[in-house]
Formats: sequence, C-alpha cells, structure tokens
Amino acid sequence: MESLTPDKIPRSQQAISVLWPSFITAIIASGVFFSAFNPRDLVPFNLDIDISPLAAYSIGFFLFWLLASLSSFGTLYFTISNCRFLNNQR
Amino acid sequence: MAQKENTVEPVLYEAHKKIYPREVSGYFTRLRVLSLVTLLGIYYVTPLLQWDGRQAILFDLPARKFYLFGLTLWPQDFIYLAALLILAGLALFFFTALLGRVWCGYACPQTVWTEAYLWMERKIEGKRGQRMKLDKAPTSAAKIRTKTLKHVVWIAFSLWTGFTFVAYFTPIDELAGELLNLSLGPWETFWILFYSFATYGNAGFMREQVCKYMCPYARFQSAMFDSDTLIVAYHPERGEPRGSRRRSVEPAAVGLGDCIDCNVCVQVCPTGIDIRDGLQYECIACSACIDACDEIMDKMSYPRGLVRYTTENSALGKRQHLLRPRIIVYATILLLLCGILVTHISQRVALDLDVIRDRNTLYRETNDGLIENVYTLKILNMDSQAHVYKLWVEGIDGVKLVSDRPEIEVEAGSVYQMVVRLQADEFNLEARSVTVRFHLQAKDGNHLKTVTDARFVGPGKS
Ligand code: SF4
Ligand code: SF4
Repeated sequence: MESLTPDKIPRSQQAISVLWPSFITAIIASGVFFSAFNPRDLVPFNLDIDISPLAAYSIGFFLFWLLASLSSFGTLYFTISNCRFLNNQR
Repeated sequence: MAQKENTVEPVLYEAHKKIYPREVSGYFTRLRVLSLVTLLGIYYVTPLLQWDGRQAILFDLPARKFYLFGLTLWPQDFIYLAALLILAGLALFFFTALLGRVWCGYACPQTVWTEAYLWMERKIEGKRGQRMKLDKAPTSAAKIRTKTLKHVVWIAFSLWTGFTFVAYFTPIDELAGELLNLSLGPWETFWILFYSFATYGNAGFMREQVCKYMCPYARFQSAMFDSDTLIVAYHPERGEPRGSRRRSVEPAAVGLGDCIDCNVCVQVCPTGIDIRDGLQYECIACSACIDACDEIMDKMSYPRGLVRYTTENSALGKRQHLLRPRIIVYATILLLLCGILVTHISQRVALDLDVIRDRNTLYRETNDGLIENVYTLKILNMDSQAHVYKLWVEGIDGVKLVSDRPEIEVEAGSVYQMVVRLQADEFNLEARSVTVRFHLQAKDGNHLKTVTDARFVGPGKS
C-alpha cells in the first residue's frame, strides 16, 4: 500500500499541527519573556497607551502565538510542497 | 472532499469514528475514579484556599508575584518555576519507565475531564447501547431534549472550569464579585470563555483524539519504555484461539483458549482499540479492559488476568528487574534536583539589592578634597512584612557613605529606591576603578542580608 505523506493529512489535522505546537511555544515564550520584562516598562513605539496588565499579557501571548504559528505553518507548507514535488517526480 | 479524505487516510489518520465507551466496574476502575475525583477536587478547591488573608495560590499578574502558601515568588525567582517544570518532566520520565502510562490513565487533565464529561453523558443519555441508539435515532422532541440537557450541563461545567482557571490569576473573591455585578473585565471574560471552550471541546468532543494526535508524550513514550515497564496486556497464549462457547464447555475440549471473544474489552476502551492486538500507542493504560475482562472471567469461572498489568519480560517468562540502570539514573537525578531546589528555596533571602552607578559623571571632588561617586540603590523587600535595614560599604579604607535618609524602611513586597554617595580619600584608592561592596541587612533578622558589588571610579594613581 502507498505510504502516507503529509500532504494527505486532513485539513483539520494540519491546522492542529500548526496551532497546537505554537500554542505551547507561546506559553513558554510568554513565561520567559514576561518574567524578564514588565509590560509596564514596555511602551511600544512610545505610544501613550494605557492598558491593564492582563490585557498586556494577553496581547503578548497572542503575538507569540501568531509568530510561532507562522513558523509552524512554514514548516508544514514546505513539507507538504516538497512531498508533492517528490511525488510528481516519481 | 470528505469522501476523498476517507479513502486516503486509513492508517495514521483514520476518519473519526465516535467512541461510546461502555461502563466498567472493578478494582482498577475504583482506583481510577478515586484519583480522578481527587484531582478534580484539587483543581476546583485550590483557588478557594486562603493563607495569611490572601489567596493561598495565586499568580498575581498585575503585581507580578506568585503566591504559594507562605512563599512569595517574584519574577527574579523565575528560575524556581523553571526548575519545578524540569523536575516535573523528569518525574514523568521516571514514573513512565517504572509504571508505563499511569499518568495518561489516572492523572492527565485530558483523561480527568474526559471522564467527568463522559460521566455526565452517561447520567443523561444512558448506557453505551442507549447512547448509540440515541445518536442513530431520527430527530425527535425527546432526542433534542436529551441532547440539549447534556450540552447545557456540559457548558455549565465548562464555564465553572474556565472561571476557576482565571481565578488562579485574579483573586477569586474579586472575580466572583465582578461576575455578580456583571462588571467582568474584557480580558477576564475572554479567558474564562476561552478556557471553557477548550474544556468543552477537548472533554466533550475531541477526547481520545487529543491523545492520539496532539499529545507529544504519547508519541515518544516508546523511548521511555523498556522490557520491565508496567503495561496493560492480553495473554495470547492463554486466550487464543478465541471463540464463543457455552459456559459449561471446557475450553480445551473444543480446542479454544480462554478468550470468549465477547468484545467487552473493546467496548469499554475509551480509545476504541482492541488490547488483544498487542501494545498500541493509542492505549492510555486506563485499565478499563482489565476490569472488564476480569468480570467476564468471573462469569465463566475462569481465573482472572487474561488481560492484566504485566511487563514485557514477565509476559515472556523472563526475569523482571525493578532496579535497572535507567530507573537508578532517573531516580538519582530526580532526588539530586529535588534536594538542590529545596535547599535553594529554604535558603532564599527575601531581599534584593540593585546598585546602579551614576553614569553621567565619573566622579566628583568634594569641598574637603574627597572623591565622590553617586549610586542609585533599588531595594526589593520580597518578604511578607516590612523591615528596617542597615546599609554599609566596604572595599576602600575609610570610605564614607552619605545618604539623606537615616532610616531605610521598606514595606512588604515593595521596591524602595534611594540615592547614596560614597566618599573616599584619593590616597586610599589603589586603582582608577575599585570594587566596593554594599551590604544590606534587616535590623530585625540576621538572615535577611544581601551583598552587591559596584565600581568606584577615581582619578587613578599618577
Ligand atoms: S486498551 Fe485497555 S488499558 Fe488501553 S486504553 Fe483501551 S481500555 Fe484502556
Ligand atoms: S473481555 Fe476478555 S474474554 Fe472478552 S473478548 Fe476481551 S479478552 Fe476476550
């Protein structure tokens, strides 16, 4: 039987393999980052915004998640396109 | 689209079939329920505990403090949390090598909440057969009523779970007050809903799929297993050839083994596998099939243990080793790390001193011809009560500490900032830059002391 390649994995599971590892990564990254930096000292681009600490931590977390997702997505995308490419060559 | 997926994913990514685990009873089931209920209880009760007039365990995000009963940890103490996580990871390795996937079957939050949701489902929709029938039945008022009731109960439980989760980060009495006044902050609301939704989805729908497709631990368990690890296994020599027979028939007489092929072990399995196919990575070692099969064995008056806890070595009739290199190494590292962590925490000084030299001027000469350096001190009192501190300096003969604050009193859990000047005779400076040592000690506690080094800059010897 033909062996399974990542491009045959259902969409839902592809989504999980992007979002889930990056979720864990984002937790670790936020933990390390916010232990070192107090969001109160980090006013981005000198904007004078007043947000609650919880909002700052949450936004930080989502930025990390987004960033890590982009990276996971890149890995998945290249794996899939390489699989397709190699399959076509056979 | 769905059609196509079904045809190409038979091995690794099976099209999801809903699993209806059959109810079990027995020794291991009782043990398991005890463990699951205890863990659930701990989760929901912990935020309610009080200590010294505050929540006993609280990650106070705005104040950037972590309260753990009598201990208050600051971001500076992050290392302890990291160490604790490493410790937890090592403990997982150790227990997995020894006992296999006990974590999965008895303690993993995924299992804990799945079982809780399954229990609610059972109470509302009935036993396995009834649940299957209900799902197959055409839509009717009764079906809608039952299903709605189930989801309402599930959602209520999820919301309570989400609320409790946020209560680990926001004091629970504040949170409850805000909830009652309908004045919850937007982010609190968001996280309660987020966590509730995750619980509802994971425990109500995803269930064993989380273990199969999302859990990293399940994937590398084989690296932690060896031939002496405890596993749940079927005894094929005894059971095969399987086949149905009447109770009165002696298996040997009809050329059969002890397995009556009743499929009960498959029906109880929360991951929907057949333990008789051998050790599979989907098996979360929940031991449901052990209890289920034992019950059948009892009914047939065969000895129990056709499906049982065993090890690969013992199943093969080989010698078993409890103490093997892997276990000893894990245990040693574990104990060592535990020891280091405990000593560190017990010797942790709830005081921190930061010294920043004024960089604008290298040094200044005073009217009396002394060389003067200016420093900003940041004193962090991490203790749970206020203290008065004494401060002194050494490193230069006759160095004088000048400060406009005679008394340094710092409130509990706060930072105190002050400017001090050091004055020294040029004659006593051995180089252009010498180390000075700031000592800070609580007047009412000798163990509350800390030392920080800084540079003192002068004109240098010419
Ligand atoms: S095979 Fe047995 S022990 Fe493994 S998950 Fe299924 S019921 Fe639990
Ligand atoms: S429960 Fe026991 S007897 Fe029944 S099919 Fe499973 S192994 Fe065989």
